[in-house]
Amino acid sequence: MATTTTSLPPELVPEPLSTGPVTAGSLDDQVLAFPDRPPPLKWFVALAFTLGCFAVGALLIVYTICTGIGVWGNNRPVFWGFDIINFVFWIGIGHAGTLISAILFLFRARWRNAIARFAEAMTIFAVMCAGIFPLIHVGRPWLAFWLFPYPNQRGIWPNFRSPLMWDVFAVNTYFSVSLMFWYLGLVPDLASLRDRTRPGFRKVIYAILSLGWRGSATHWLHFEKAYLLLAGLATGLVLSVHSVVSFDFAVSLVPGWHMTIFPPYFVTGAIFAGFAMVVIVLVVVRESMDLGNLITLRHLDLMNKVILGTSCLMGYSYLMEAFTAWYSMNPFLHHTFRQYVAGTYWWAGWICIGCNILAPQLFWVPKWRRSYPVMLFVALAVTVGMWFERFVIIVISLSQDYLPSSWHVYWPTPVDFGILLGSFGLFFSLVLLFARVLPIIATTEVKAALQGAQPGHEGVAS
Amino acid sequence: MSDPVHAVVGLFETPRALLEAIARLRPRGLGRLEAYTPYPVHGIDQALGLRRSPLPGMVLVMGIVGTVTAFAFQYWISAVDYPLITGGKPATSWQAFVPIMFEVMVLFATFTAGLGMLLLLNRLPELDHPLLGSSSMSAITRDRLALAVESEGDGLDVAAAQRALTEAGAVAVEVVARPPGPYTVSIAAAAVAALVAGVAVVAAGLGTWVAVKAFPALPPMVHMLEQPRLSAQGGSGFFEDGRAARLPVPGTVARGRLPHPFTRQEEASVLGNPLARTGPVLALGRRVYGERCLVCHGSLGDGKALLSAAYGAKPANLHTAAARALPDGQIYHVIVAGKNSMPPYVRELSQDERWAAVHYVRALQRAQNAEARDF
Repeated sequence: MATTTTSLPPELVPEPLSTGPVTAGSLDDQVLAFPDRPPPLKWFVALAFTLGCFAVGALLIVYTICTGIGVWGNNRPVFWGFDIINFVFWIGIGHAGTLISAILFLFRARWRNAIARFAEAMTIFAVMCAGIFPLIHVGRPWLAFWLFPYPNQRGIWPNFRSPLMWDVFAVNTYFSVSLMFWYLGLVPDLASLRDRTRPGFRKVIYAILSLGWRGSATHWLHFEKAYLLLAGLATGLVLSVHSVVSFDFAVSLVPGWHMTIFPPYFVTGAIFAGFAMVVIVLVVVRESMDLGNLITLRHLDLMNKVILGTSCLMGYSYLMEAFTAWYSMNPFLHHTFRQYVAGTYWWAGWICIGCNILAPQLFWVPKWRRSYPVMLFVALAVTVGMWFERFVIIVISLSQDYLPSSWHVYWPTPVDFGILLGSFGLFFSLVLLFARVLPIIATTEVKAALQGAQPGHEGVAS
Repeated sequence: MSDPVHAVVGLFETPRALLEAIARLRPRGLGRLEAYTPYPVHGIDQALGLRRSPLPGMVLVMGIVGTVTAFAFQYWISAVDYPLITGGKPATSWQAFVPIMFEVMVLFATFTAGLGMLLLLNRLPELDHPLLGSSSMSAITRDRLALAVESEGDGLDVAAAQRALTEAGAVAVEVVARPPGPYTVSIAAAAVAALVAGVAVVAAGLGTWVAVKAFPALPPMVHMLEQPRLSAQGGSGFFEDGRAARLPVPGTVARGRLPHPFTRQEEASVLGNPLARTGPVLALGRRVYGERCLVCHGSLGDGKALLSAAYGAKPANLHTAAARALPDGQIYHVIVAGKNSMPPYVRELSQDERWAAVHYVRALQRAQNAEARDF
């Protein structure tokens, strides 16, 4: 009861997860009102810009498909270039959403409620961006269905001992499960939207999407069980997906790839990069949509702590990789690791270390964890740094492997950069559209954790 | 009131008030009690006496089914139907199947949890539920908690339910009729869905028709066929005569194709069969005879052919005394140069094939004209 809170020393009282008076009704009026209002001009400007970027990427993909992937910089022995770098990068971005929605849910970290919906949406959009790259990487994307094991007139089956096959299953499962998890959480919120929207076309759409959700006690009983089960399943899944992505590398024999630390190292990196992207988007959303009272500085502070923690784990992974290389007594591995920091692409290795390990150390200062300029700087640095980490792993390892006569310096072409730009355009276009038509905050989850929302908890803030 | 009553709904402002109302109304037995809340409220299922959700058991079973399915599928493909040795591992090594078994387990379990909850347990979508048309609904999905006394089929004491809810502290009480009033959303939704489906069906049909008419013989997947190579009888801009097919360079001799120096059959008598009469040679001869000679000379070599009636020619009977007396070299010459209406087989058959055929013809002759000592 109220006395428990007041009897605590002030420094132990948790900071509230929302500022100002927030009630269930005011929450709906604030969060669910966006679809009712015409978007501001700046939204249209932003959408035009992101769609323009997407159009560039889409045209270049058409150009690539019509001409062949020779328009990219990939050439032997660097057969994996921007295509796979971007794939791993975007899949990683997605992992933050699942971590926030599933793992933090299992840990009962209530602060996730206000940001989970946005993070889950970003997961889905990021996986959509990621999915483009293996598709165009196969060169003849209209035959990409050959990846799936189906009985065919050629009488052949895919090789289930190949990590690339595991990847097909992992990524497709990840997308399906993320979509299911996201939609499940959306149903009660869509019901709220349905009931507050005036009759018309939009109401019809919300009514269909919400499936006639009534919020009966029976509904909630099964819903909560399903959500809990999905959170548990998604937790295992998110750890498996990037592990499988790392198997694409670790199961091979390329020096610098063939390492047992890769699965946990990739999962950590994915969460790290994803949190940085969520921070960037949340800062923009918080300011442009006036959600400062629901997405507080405490949320951003906690997010930044996760970034700091995962950054330290990344530092450990880098050191452990270097140690493994040194301890292996393997001259090929020694050579590859020297290439990481002192070879043709020495700058990429140092961008990695600077952006991923050094920049987030700013977050040791509590004040900087709550400062927009610092957190935007760090989050952008991490995004760039994590992209370069995949560049280091893929390009540096491949460009100089066992056979010196086939060494080759890889340089991307403008087409490579254009398609990367296009994937960012697609991602942010989808984020912008999502922000206007769907509930961007999981209102039912926030309502359930408001003051006095539960019997016997009156007066206790979460 | 003409419509039968579906439920009497009372609205409450706090979860505690709702729980207290449930406790007061539950022993009264006025009808089926159901609570409606904007978010899950702790303890409401115990208060209403709801049974535990069977979802975890369903998910467990389907998770196991998914795991077993993925294992069986991969094992059958990789070890039985299409054994592929990778990295020196036996075809039955199951360890590599684990990642996909896990993913499929998650996939099956997730869709069981999600769709099982929505479709099976909560019986959604249900766009025409009476309560969806009530004015209480928008309060419920916003911030009010509701307790409904629902009809169990045999009528409902509406007045008693209204009184009981008011006494329990409801701030508003609504009587919800069945069938619902003009709940336009579900009708409009059905209309829109039908329209979309109709347009999709018509568009798909038209698209298929156009595709079939416009590209009737579009060859599927001809990537290996369409190559930058020369076709045997095709043209080529590379050579002076514009032809893709080339003649051999003058003066060269292809392997197994030594030139035959004789023009007259008698001259060829000097040639002897260079091949020994061994099993493989006779087998080759039999194959060559079967492919080239049999249609006209007959399977026994007696000139009773498969084609002769329609073909109009009179193939030689190889068992005449004259034919049997021919030296090997003359038979060879006939194969090379042809005779009467028999075409030359110099291009079709190599030297060894021709001589093997000669051996086989000799074997046929001897078999058809066997002497006592042959038995």
